[in-house]
Amino acid sequence: MRMTPAVILVGVLSLLAAIALTMVYWPYAQQDRTPSEIFRARTAEEEAGRLIYIQNGCVYCHSQSIRAFDWDMGSERIAQSGDYIADEPIQLGSQRTGPDLSQAGGEHPDDWHIAHFINPRYTRPSSLMPPFEWLGTERIDTLTRYVQSLGLKAADRRMERQKHWKAESIKAYEAGVEANARWLAEQVPEGWRSIPNPYPTSAAALQRGHRIYQYYCIGCHGPIGDGMGPAQPWIYPPPLNFTTLTGREISGGIIYYQLMNGITGTAMPYFKRDLESQKIWEVGDYIAHYFINQSDANHEPRGIDAAWEP
Amino acid sequence: MSPAEESTAHGNQTAKAFTLTSAMWFAFATTFGMIAAGYLVAPDFMANVEYIHFGRVRPMHVNAVLFGFVTPGLIAAAFYYIPRLLRTRLYSERLGVFSAVFWNISVAAGMAGVALGYSQGREYAELPWLVDIMIVISFGLVIVNFLMTIRRRTEPILYVSIWYAAAAVVLTACTYLLGNVVWKPDTGALAGIPDAILLWFYGHNVFGLLLSPMALAVAYYVLPIATRSPLYSHTLSLIGFWSLIIVYTHIGTHHLLQVPVPTWLKTISIVDSVAMVIPVMVFLINIWYTVKGKLGDVHADIGAKFIFTGTIYYFFVNIQGSMMALPDVQRITHFNNWVVGHAHMGVLGFAGVTALGGLYFILPRITGRPLHSRFLADFQYWLVLIGITGFSIVLTIVGLIQGQAWYNGETLYRTLPGLQPYFITRLSLGLLIMVGAYTGLYNVARSLYFNRGAAA
Repeated sequence: MRMTPAVILVGVLSLLAAIALTMVYWPYAQQDRTPSEIFRARTAEEEAGRLIYIQNGCVYCHSQSIRAFDWDMGSERIAQSGDYIADEPIQLGSQRTGPDLSQAGGEHPDDWHIAHFINPRYTRPSSLMPPFEWLGTERIDTLTRYVQSLGLKAADRRMERQKHWKAESIKAYEAGVEANARWLAEQVPEGWRSIPNPYPTSAAALQRGHRIYQYYCIGCHGPIGDGMGPAQPWIYPPPLNFTTLTGREISGGIIYYQLMNGITGTAMPYFKRDLESQKIWEVGDYIAHYFINQSDANHEPRGIDAAWEP
Repeated sequence: MSPAEESTAHGNQTAKAFTLTSAMWFAFATTFGMIAAGYLVAPDFMANVEYIHFGRVRPMHVNAVLFGFVTPGLIAAAFYYIPRLLRTRLYSERLGVFSAVFWNISVAAGMAGVALGYSQGREYAELPWLVDIMIVISFGLVIVNFLMTIRRRTEPILYVSIWYAAAAVVLTACTYLLGNVVWKPDTGALAGIPDAILLWFYGHNVFGLLLSPMALAVAYYVLPIATRSPLYSHTLSLIGFWSLIIVYTHIGTHHLLQVPVPTWLKTISIVDSVAMVIPVMVFLINIWYTVKGKLGDVHADIGAKFIFTGTIYYFFVNIQGSMMALPDVQRITHFNNWVVGHAHMGVLGFAGVTALGGLYFILPRITGRPLHSRFLADFQYWLVLIGITGFSIVLTIVGLIQGQAWYNGETLYRTLPGLQPYFITRLSLGLLIMVGAYTGLYNVARSLYFNRGAAA
């Protein structure tokens, strides 16, 4: 084959044209533009927040692309093409240094996000995200509106729930320490309230609980459990001061349930995705032992002791 | 003609200008990369300096590497070998120098745009609309010079390097316009899933239709000369060229295997990703057989040494790439640092190292004097080689840790504390590469402008 300039140029350009037509234009022309059941248009403020998201390269660490085999945040909703029809540009992302944000809307209340943007380690001590305090209050608020819209109609449902329980939890907090502790306990289903912590307290378990506390809890509740972690100034109702729970009949089961499920409406997230059962019991006992100064670990009823227990 | 006379006869201002461009942006780009890697080790590091925040400095790093360092480096070599292979003079050195100056202004404008927050937020297509136009004009100026030189050739036969260089710049000008959606200046994007399909068609073609062919062209030119051996096979050159153009353009959707795009498109991208072994192995067989038994000659020429090393990375990165397109493999490797390792192996290990080899091969020939320091060039070779090999290992390990943990149901937060030691190692390896880049810049600048060596 004799390679002349004409052969090269005409050859490669016609190949490119044919391939671009089949590999890009055809799927574009055949695209299904039907909105999915969670789709809605974004508000002007959410679009403005999305622009901040785009221009500051959030996409390099946060995908918006939930796959059939994902477990983490948002994995209840496997992505469909109809979710993305208004995304220009689409922000699927290629890396997860942080969690996928497809369904981030309504996972947390606004105050959690504000504290998190000021410094991500305030609410998530092991986060690798750089702080965004330099965006300033106004842009952080706008960006928060976009993040709270992620998931569109599904996010709206979660935000309704956040707003409802935000009002309830503020009411309980403002009613005083006693009433707040009672309200917190009452939100836990009956069966859980009477369960003591089934694991015995031991030096090793407290060490493990301490480590979990440092990775997950210290940003809000602080190193001595008084609710004065660095996130505290941005959060309302403020992080719980565990030392106020002494003598208020807080069982291991109540603590476990609240750590597992979180308290929607407050900045307290659920930890059931991050932590397995034993880790939740042990960090719960760490809190009970050191901060509440009352632990019911291994009290009756406790059933048959597990084989490994001392 | 002696090298000195030969260099004067050609002028070579264009090749010199692109050589300096490449060496300079290699230093800048690795500096941006170090800043980005620093954030992963200590996220509060320079936390409130808006313009180099992680989300801005990362695209600055990527675009500076692609369009500042690697492409101009490979173009510098092309401006040297094209007139020589065609037995003519470059069409216009003035146009060439102008294109190099304009190229630098374009890349610098792109950096400023992204730093100031005008990124269009599409990976590899971040640069703002105005810069997109400037980049295409830059390519256009180079194309004019290449094609007009081909037109005035006195050598009737076009060597394989010419095919690749001409095809690469022409095709990239097209895919750049297409991929950056320049007909929509406000967003520079399509809406929804087709935007992702177009983006990865373009993004992968930056590698497939620009860096790879330009780098292969340099290898095809330098290695036979350095080893004083004829090219092993013209037929393999032909098969390698056409199969590269056909296969590479089909595989972009392998970035979207876990996304709701049409299944037929995924199937084509997987099949063609595996088929990438054809152009890759055809080239490698051709070039490795050419230099067979002549590794001493390769070693003796610092340019050839870089370029031969690049071919080894070309082998690894492409075999790995074919594997990564398999859905079962990708369930573990997608979305994590495995892919970052892969990208560094391709862009630095293969294309970047080849570009450096091209620079060192042409420098004595365009200046008519020996390289300022062969020692510094060797020193840079080892810094870059240790750095990139370390990157490949460390980032692959990080990727496996992340991918396995996620697949087994651990949340992302759980994996973060364990990544710290690897990110520190990666930062240290990055330091080697950055020192290598500055060493190279010094050596190139000395060789071009302050070379006290006697004219050869």
